[in-house]
Amino acid sequence: MNLARRDTTFPAGGITPGQQGRFDGFDVLSEVRRWDLATTGVVLARISPDRELRFFTKDEEPTARALFDLLLGQHEEPKVPVTEMVDVRLKAGEMDGWRYEDMPEDGEAWHKSLADLDDEAFERFGRRFAELDVDDQGGLVQEVQDAKEWRGFNAKHLWSLWTRYACAAFYSHPWAWNEIGFGGPAYPRGYKNIGIDSREASERPERDAKDPLPWASRVEEAKKAHAARVTGRAPETSGPATLIGSSETLIGSDDGR
Amino acid sequence: MSRLRDADIRARNESAWLLPKGNARTNHELRANMRTFDDSDEIDIAIVGCGAGGATLLQRLARAGMRAVAFDAGPFWDPDTDWVSDERGSHRLYWTEPRVISGEDPVPLGSNNSGRGVGGSMVHFAGYVPRFHPSDFETRSRDGVGADWPISYWDLKPYYEAIEEELPVSGQPWPWGDPHRYPYSAQPLGGNGEVFLLGAKRLGIDARVGPVAIANGRFGHRDHCIYRGFCLQGCKVNAKASPLITHVPDALAHGAEIRSDSMVTRIVIGDDGMAEGVVYVRHGMERFQRARLVAVAGYSIETPRLLLLSAERRFPDGLCNNDDLVGRYVMVQGAPQVAGRFDQEVRMYKAPPPEVTSEAFYETDPSKPYARGFSIQNVSPLPITYSEHVAAQGHWGGVLREYMRDYVHWAVLGALCEFLPLHHNRVTLADEKDRNGNPVANFSYTQCDNDSALEQAAQSVQEDILEAAGATETIAIKRYAHLVGGCRMGDSPSSGVVDSDLRTFAVPNLYITDGSVLPTQGSANPALTIMALAARCADHLIARSRSGGIRASAGLP
Repeated sequence: MNLARRDTTFPAGGITPGQQGRFDGFDVLSEVRRWDLATTGVVLARISPDRELRFFTKDEEPTARALFDLLLGQHEEPKVPVTEMVDVRLKAGEMDGWRYEDMPEDGEAWHKSLADLDDEAFERFGRRFAELDVDDQGGLVQEVQDAKEWRGFNAKHLWSLWTRYACAAFYSHPWAWNEIGFGGPAYPRGYKNIGIDSREASERPERDAKDPLPWASRVEEAKKAHAARVTGRAPETSGPATLIGSSETLIGSDDGR
Repeated sequence: MSRLRDADIRARNESAWLLPKGNARTNHELRANMRTFDDSDEIDIAIVGCGAGGATLLQRLARAGMRAVAFDAGPFWDPDTDWVSDERGSHRLYWTEPRVISGEDPVPLGSNNSGRGVGGSMVHFAGYVPRFHPSDFETRSRDGVGADWPISYWDLKPYYEAIEEELPVSGQPWPWGDPHRYPYSAQPLGGNGEVFLLGAKRLGIDARVGPVAIANGRFGHRDHCIYRGFCLQGCKVNAKASPLITHVPDALAHGAEIRSDSMVTRIVIGDDGMAEGVVYVRHGMERFQRARLVAVAGYSIETPRLLLLSAERRFPDGLCNNDDLVGRYVMVQGAPQVAGRFDQEVRMYKAPPPEVTSEAFYETDPSKPYARGFSIQNVSPLPITYSEHVAAQGHWGGVLREYMRDYVHWAVLGALCEFLPLHHNRVTLADEKDRNGNPVANFSYTQCDNDSALEQAAQSVQEDILEAAGATETIAIKRYAHLVGGCRMGDSPSSGVVDSDLRTFAVPNLYITDGSVLPTQGSANPALTIMALAARCADHLIARSRSGGIRASAGLP
């Protein structure tokens, strides 16, 4: 199934965001022929969303792109087109069916918060948000997460809005499913091997067998690298420091094995 | 289940045999030949909402020969073309029109606790269908909290049994509450269910497989479950029960009409103080359907909203609201969930999310500082929902991605805590308007201390179970589940909006037949109880109409 292969230099198996992932050779799209038509249409539309933005304005676009990259740790190609996916959703007015009383409706909250993020960057650094180092962007965004109130917003509710839209878009994309080993749609085929440590023929084992780092260490590395990105300080670990940009280099590395 | 028993069920509800055999899931002929009424026909009953409460009532009354129409704001679903095996693509199943949430503990609505379209929220409910315990009907007398119902468990028991056969329900013999058995034996388990049973066993906590509204086998023309894990996105297999396949086909076969894409905006009261019918908007046109009886089954947000929107001369603060009870005592269950990390692959997305339950902590434990209790079930969030668990830990960027990359190693448990009915938790009308120009609902919610204590206790037990099963790390998230209350049942107009037959005290031919009538909520998922209450109300209406005709059942002279 070549449907999603836009670059044959990517490793065998499915595309993953930033070429990260632990399921070598796993491609959820290899099962497309076994999906029902309604589901196939909905999922494949995400592979090539309309690139023309209609909700985010020209001024908002760079800020939105930088924010989504940051929230989802997408710093390398190929990227899930989150900005485009959120744009389509907001333009269609497809809301969650509720809003907090102290928040404007979602679309308005997006317009205002992106403008605020740019203003905040300009006031603090004299540059637009998208022009800042990723470290400085991370610092600003971390302040929103830590704040009680931010530029007139209930910061907790704004954070909820940002992460909900970002995660719903990212984890609806088949490349993200390839990254996390999720089997994706399974109708009409269903699953026949359920239970602990049971796999379908289409599912792949992780690279864990030769994984140099156990789960706890991977998490610690990720947290340190995250802290470095947010504070702008180099991580204190002596190990590979590039987990966020590319865990591929860390996990595929022989160091520390 | 034996063929003999199948025949018995088929004789009173043929729905499963009216669905097509083979790979199509909708009986298009049945729908195309549906009887239809004119707005000017005085039908026997207009039912507002076609979910658990509305569709069950419709099926019963149509069988009894009543001329019945059920209105639903959403579509008449075809699982083949309208539903997808996809989280993000399933947003149409929810009530996504605007609503405002407020209070100190605002409760997000939408995907978690609302439905839209024929079948209601059972279209995307997980499938757990426990009964309430006998104690749930008398928490005020027993435990000094909540409220006593004007009916007891024993009034509802025959209806629980009937609905369990019609869905039908699978599960192990049930030791809690009023001990009982289920029509179908338990389902095989996926990784998440195995983790739960193992952890519970090691701690000596009783846990059982079930009760789940999926037959362990074929039922009528409904296929066997294929364990694809998308129960919350609408069952494309017709294996998991929802009124769309358990009650609607039989209702149509007995002359009922379902008027979909029709949003009821007002109940009209005549000069004699009786309901005359409903105003509804279909395809942008406002229309009026005359009816002898009106039953509202729009659930805990839209039912109070409709009554409040129907304010008129005799009811200036909303229909049936002269005692200030409409929209009050809305309840949600506290639903703290805990995810545990295992070295093995769990792959919780395979197998239905509803599998195992423990009601070992359901009743009041005098040694604890809180009243009432909680149940524990496994939930198996798909990636988008699971990302909320990770994000709730404060993780974003690369850390979020690293946790999510580990998805196949995690199992998730979820509790249902019996939060108490409180006067201040209520639905009112907001300033904001919907596209029909009507004010949307504002749902204000604030927990009490007993609620918070339960929530904490339920989280600890779940952490213990996962750790006993071998989890090396756990992460917890606080959330809510289900909605009930808002038009509670009581024994007098000062204690309830409806009486024990679900008839409103204020308008003799107006009934409410949904979850909003529940005075308390137990720690049980509410769907089965809502259906049982609607079935009981149907018997009441049928008995009244037989003893004195429809006019008598409508309270008319």
